[in-house]
Amino acid sequence: MRLIAHAITPAPRPRVAVRGLRGRPLEWLESAGLGIWSTRWDTAEPLARDDVLDHHRVIEGICAATPCLPVRFGTAFADAAAARATLDRRSDALRDALARVSGRSEIAVTLLWREPSGDSAPRPPVDDAAGPGRRFLEERQARWSASDARRRQAAELVERLVATLAVEPALVRHEICSSERVAVSLAVLSPTDQAPDQIASLRRFLAGLSDVTGVVNGPWPPYTFAGIDESGGVSAGSATRLPGWPPA
Amino acid sequence: MSVQPLAPSDASLLELVDRLLNKGVVLIGEATISVAGVDLIYLGLNLVLSSVDALERPRGGPAGGGGSSGGGAPRT
Repeated sequence: MRLIAHAITPAPRPRVAVRGLRGRPLEWLESAGLGIWSTRWDTAEPLARDDVLDHHRVIEGICAATPCLPVRFGTAFADAAAARATLDRRSDALRDALARVSGRSEIAVTLLWREPSGDSAPRPPVDDAAGPGRRFLEERQARWSASDARRRQAAELVERLVATLAVEPALVRHEICSSERVAVSLAVLSPTDQAPDQIASLRRFLAGLSDVTGVVNGPWPPYTFAGIDESGGVSAGSATRLPGWPPA
Repeated sequence: MSVQPLAPSDASLLELVDRLLNKGVVLIGEATISVAGVDLIYLGLNLVLSSVDALERPRGGPAGGGGSSGGGAPRT
């Protein structure tokens, strides 16, 4: 038997209105003024793809009741003692992180390029008289130029988004050009009671963009802002692989 | 290379899966999540495209494949 962790919240145990993965009971384990919510799981039972999104449902339910730190999907403890020991070891960092996200939710903004990038878009043909070396270099230069232009454009979009949000830079995390089609992936930590207004403001801003399509999601639990100093948090020797993941 | 447009609904799922698999508190005792042998922890949205491929694979369908086989190239 193993415990699959979902979230960490302050003690004492709050009342939450959700059940664990696949409707099973949620377990609460408390130590150092904190508690960890988990679902008891047979080690031989494989996790399936639906369990990933079910983990989100569980976290949303917990975060609706109390400040909470989402735990990365797939985190499992051998037993209650192991879970409590982790809370003991990292209680200060976990409390700091809880204070950071308390009363706040995450809004996700994704900007998708409307047109293919320079890698995929038709390009002017290289001079037919050019040798293979020159053709190669000119094609490579064209690719790099297109890629650089896209990165600059994406960076400008981030600046405009941050200006629209009017929040501290520390409350925004972003990536640009993380894939062929994604221009910007941005997360902002917003006071939960202001999230609907922030979302409406973002949607108005995105409606005026011509080169990208904007998608706003949330409010979500503060996944992106729940991280604590990871330098001492991962022990390769204790890592285990959950059975059945990835789903066959 | 032919590029299929990414629908907004796909982007929403990608963003959520990215957070579930790559964000959140990392704790000792963590299980390593992988798709076709490629660990997803610490990898960005680009490779999460591959994880979505795994998520969307019908239960009981063929294992492996997708963008992550053969070294984890993203499905872009």
